[in-house]
Amino acid sequence: MTDSTQTSALMKEGRFVRFLSSSAGRATIAFVLVMLLGLIFNADGAFFKLGMHRDALRQASVFGILAVGMTVVIITGGIDLSVGSILAVSAVLFSILTLHLDWPAWISILSCIIVGAGLGAISGTLIAVTKLQPFIATLAMMTFGRGVAKYITGGQKISTYLTNSDGEVIIKELPRIFKVIDSRIMGGNIAIVSIIFLFCLLITWLFLAKHKWGRELFSIGGNEESARLSGVPVKWTKFLAYTVSGIMCAIAGIAQAAQETQGDPEAGGGYELTAIAMVVIGGTNMAGGRGGMGLTLIGILTIGYLEKILSINAVPESGRLLITGVIIVLAVLTQRKNRN
Amino acid sequence: MNSDLSTPVIAMRGIGKKFGRVRVLENIDFEIFPGEVHILAGENGAGKSTLMKILSGVYTSYEGTISMNGKIIAPATPLEANHMGISVIHQELSLIPSMNVRDNLFLGRPVTSLGFVHDREQKKKALSVLNDLGLDVSADALIEDLSISMQQLIEIAKAISINAKVIIMDEPSSSLNSKDVEILFSLIEKLKKQGCGIVYISHRMEEIKRLANRITVLRDGKFVGTSLAEKLPTPKLINWMVGREMTNMFPRYEMNRGKEKLRIENLTVSDNEKTHVKGINLTVNSGEILGIAGLQGCGASELLMGIFGAYNRKTADHIYLNGKEISIKKPSDAIKKNIALLTNDRKATGLVLSMSIIANICMSGLVELSQWGWRSIFGEISATEKQAEALQIHASSYEMEVGMLSGGNQQKVAIAKWMQISPEVLLLDEPTRGIDIGAKHEIYQLMNEWTKQGISIVLITSEMPELLAMSDRVIVMHRGSLTAEFTREEADAENILAAAMGKETIRR
Amino acid sequence: MRKSRIVTVFMLISIMFTSLLFANGQSEESTTADKLFTIGMSQCNLGEPWRVQMNADVKSEADKYDNIKVIYKDAQNDTLKQRSHVEEFVSAEVDLLIISPKEAQPLTGPVSAAMAAGIPVIVLDRAVIGDDYTQFIGADNVIIGKAAGEWVVETFGGKGAKVVELMGLQTSPPGQDRHNGFREAIKGSDVEVIFEADVKWLEPNARKEMESALSRFDDIDLVYGHNDPAAHGAYLAAKAAGREGDIQFIGIDALPHEGVAYVKDGILNATFQYPTGGNIAIQQALKILAGETVEKNITLGSRLFTTDNVDTGGVELK
Repeated sequence: MTDSTQTSALMKEGRFVRFLSSSAGRATIAFVLVMLLGLIFNADGAFFKLGMHRDALRQASVFGILAVGMTVVIITGGIDLSVGSILAVSAVLFSILTLHLDWPAWISILSCIIVGAGLGAISGTLIAVTKLQPFIATLAMMTFGRGVAKYITGGQKISTYLTNSDGEVIIKELPRIFKVIDSRIMGGNIAIVSIIFLFCLLITWLFLAKHKWGRELFSIGGNEESARLSGVPVKWTKFLAYTVSGIMCAIAGIAQAAQETQGDPEAGGGYELTAIAMVVIGGTNMAGGRGGMGLTLIGILTIGYLEKILSINAVPESGRLLITGVIIVLAVLTQRKNRN
Repeated sequence: MNSDLSTPVIAMRGIGKKFGRVRVLENIDFEIFPGEVHILAGENGAGKSTLMKILSGVYTSYEGTISMNGKIIAPATPLEANHMGISVIHQELSLIPSMNVRDNLFLGRPVTSLGFVHDREQKKKALSVLNDLGLDVSADALIEDLSISMQQLIEIAKAISINAKVIIMDEPSSSLNSKDVEILFSLIEKLKKQGCGIVYISHRMEEIKRLANRITVLRDGKFVGTSLAEKLPTPKLINWMVGREMTNMFPRYEMNRGKEKLRIENLTVSDNEKTHVKGINLTVNSGEILGIAGLQGCGASELLMGIFGAYNRKTADHIYLNGKEISIKKPSDAIKKNIALLTNDRKATGLVLSMSIIANICMSGLVELSQWGWRSIFGEISATEKQAEALQIHASSYEMEVGMLSGGNQQKVAIAKWMQISPEVLLLDEPTRGIDIGAKHEIYQLMNEWTKQGISIVLITSEMPELLAMSDRVIVMHRGSLTAEFTREEADAENILAAAMGKETIRR
Repeated sequence: MRKSRIVTVFMLISIMFTSLLFANGQSEESTTADKLFTIGMSQCNLGEPWRVQMNADVKSEADKYDNIKVIYKDAQNDTLKQRSHVEEFVSAEVDLLIISPKEAQPLTGPVSAAMAAGIPVIVLDRAVIGDDYTQFIGADNVIIGKAAGEWVVETFGGKGAKVVELMGLQTSPPGQDRHNGFREAIKGSDVEVIFEADVKWLEPNARKEMESALSRFDDIDLVYGHNDPAAHGAYLAAKAAGREGDIQFIGIDALPHEGVAYVKDGILNATFQYPTGGNIAIQQALKILAGETVEKNITLGSRLFTTDNVDTGGVELK
């Protein structure tokens, strides 16, 4: 412990070290570590190709959108386990509306967002008004949402292949909106889904940092009773947090469906854990009250790049699990403040 | 002095401690003799808690040595210190709320046979401990169902039951009412007779005077002096602590009583389990300080919470502000009408410790400081600067987390939050609890200033001198009802206490 | 507070009842003939499209006959749940049991118990231990994997090929068998696997891994997906990179809505059917119920669908 006291004394010197001891700095350490891993294990130079970085960002985008909503919820001291299921509901709903019912794209997108917000709002109501524990309320929503996705699809994937009344399979044209969302701009260097993700992140970041609502989220996570007695509308703010998470799930679901060219009722299984890991590795506190969207961005990039680097090196499954586990622990350890 | 003072049980020599580059303790000598009450005094941030945390094994890197009965010791954890016979009673309770009294008493050292907890034996032992101390509580009661003062006494019982040689009490009376303080003091007497050495940290002058055998004063992490209590008169003690003379502790000098500001009619406060306040009527005039006295559980805090809209209320009540009836259903309604409530526990219900000073000060006035919900950074900074200057909040940066501040500065931040909404009525529940004399004095002066501006204050305090000195009028509550009302001239400790224990003397 | 809780509880209860109404569609009734047979169908997991197809195959075949009624149960990938389903069928005294077990060991006992109660049992797709059942119907993943490998060797005719293999869950027997069969067939040929990854049957994983393969290798000739979604995911990745024209894609399973449709759509070059055996099971069940003796084991044949033959229903593999 004497050592760590001395280190923290040394750390006070200079702007760089001061940055490293901030929470953003600590989150960056893990990210830099992962990038170093990529530099060393560059898979015959594949790591240095621009396309690899574009793909890494694109692959992290759906998880990233979920992590954005998750950050908002975790800042209030809650958790949202239902993100993967709501994603699936949105993905199959979007596919049914556009592929089977030929609804116009923008009405379909709007409907999905409304349904996602609605499911999030149900969790929000159970937590804010009925005072259920967030873990339990969203666990129920996770099961319920998966049930909804399976019910409206009959358990089958919703794709461009339809069976007509004679039992014959016919192939429909993929609607333009699917191609638009799964395309790239700026000379093919950035995917539209990544733009959608960054847009979601930026807007939510803005609200967290500059809006009354963001401040209220932090105060509820820090001390709910103090917040209530200071006139913060606790119920409304919490309700909104879960609703926003639901909206993010809906957007992620649309992005997922567009990339898969179909709506899979099994989509998003286990995604909630990745999203939580991204938020936590960024340094947002699971107990609430501390954290931020910038930290989550670092967390998203850390996990996203880690997965990509393991993938280009064709690391077998067992190795991937081992390395990911170690990185998570390392990242969270570097986050810990020196208490003494 | 009823015990020999020849050999100290604990001797701390040349103790020093640094946090990073910040030095918090420098070359402190401190001794504890068996059978004495050794007061450790000093303002908040003087280093008292740090010194005691070193002794109790919380901090393990420090300069200097600790010896116990002549042998050098270095407790590495609080548990180890505990086994050596050093026991700490914290300001913040260390009991587990969801467990019952007996399990808490034997936490970490359960009575077991073959590794299984021996419930019957444990209960018997617990009962004998509780009986010895004269505590009227069931061994099966859950801690969370007990009053704060009973919890505090059980915390003390826990320390006593492990046959501690040294007991460190950090503001043990801060959450006790006067009746329970008496129990505490008789416990301390008992412990002294058993030869236990007691370190007592307190900001309350009357306690210090009553209990002290010896007094050691720290200031800014430095040793100021140790003296026998009788050789250290109060003015000199205060001088040691604050480093300057303080002539008038309670500066209430001028009344500026105007017309009626707030009138409450027939207010009842209850939750699912019980009725805390029954049909209370009261008025406060502008520029007046109305003191509320009462024992723990009299319902005074709940009364203020009720007025503020923070508790379920029966709807039969009427609240008038400046003669006009207003409706308060939730705290934000009260805030809109410029009514502020400073709660009695700044850490649990007043502040968000993980947020910055700015965020805390602007928390209640956020609507006014924002446009269309978008916060104005410059507006918040200038508001914070204005309040920090008026209240003399000392911090290196307003971005600093409130949790890092000293108790006095934290309390000032909590007050600043309410001054930011330009209150007409200030409901103050224990505004000076757990803060040092210097900061207390500053808060008294502020209260004077506010009343001069026409603000009405309702003040709850468990410190009798503070109540008597600061109140223009005193009402007394007992079990949720009003039992007496006194003018400043009529009020004295004796008749207030009588009314607090249930004697009806209401005159209208 | 209390009122809102009552409203919530009421809402939840009404949701429960409405969903139960929909759940009624689980058992299918056909019009009664002279003697009505009841068949219990215990499915281990309807979360997989292939197993949904199996139930659909059972249903479409059963609908052709008036004298049988099939009751479906879905164990949702839970071994113990499937075990109690079997026990429920036994106590309901069904005339015949079709089971597609989740795992061999824990379901061997319940199957024997059904046999002991005089109920004939057809085991579909995955086996149980021992031979205490009436009939086993299943396809062989090693053979199908091998067929895929042979097809690749043949198609590239000695020119050699660089292959990306996107594998099914490597802790599951089908994933291992499809891998081993393929590797056995290409052994000694010029076909070379340059990149392999366990995508756990999942399409998003396949797309991700294929992107990595594309960024590493400029020269890829063929993608072998252990199931059609894996091959489809790889196609989407290649398409995004503008390289789908240079690469052939093959998959396994050939479900009508998936693999076969992909081939029709020009996405996959070939898909190898992994038959569900659902229709065969009903045909065999009728024989058993009529008192005929049947073979102990039936290994299902597979079909190959390619761009050339997909419109004519594919060709049978030997």
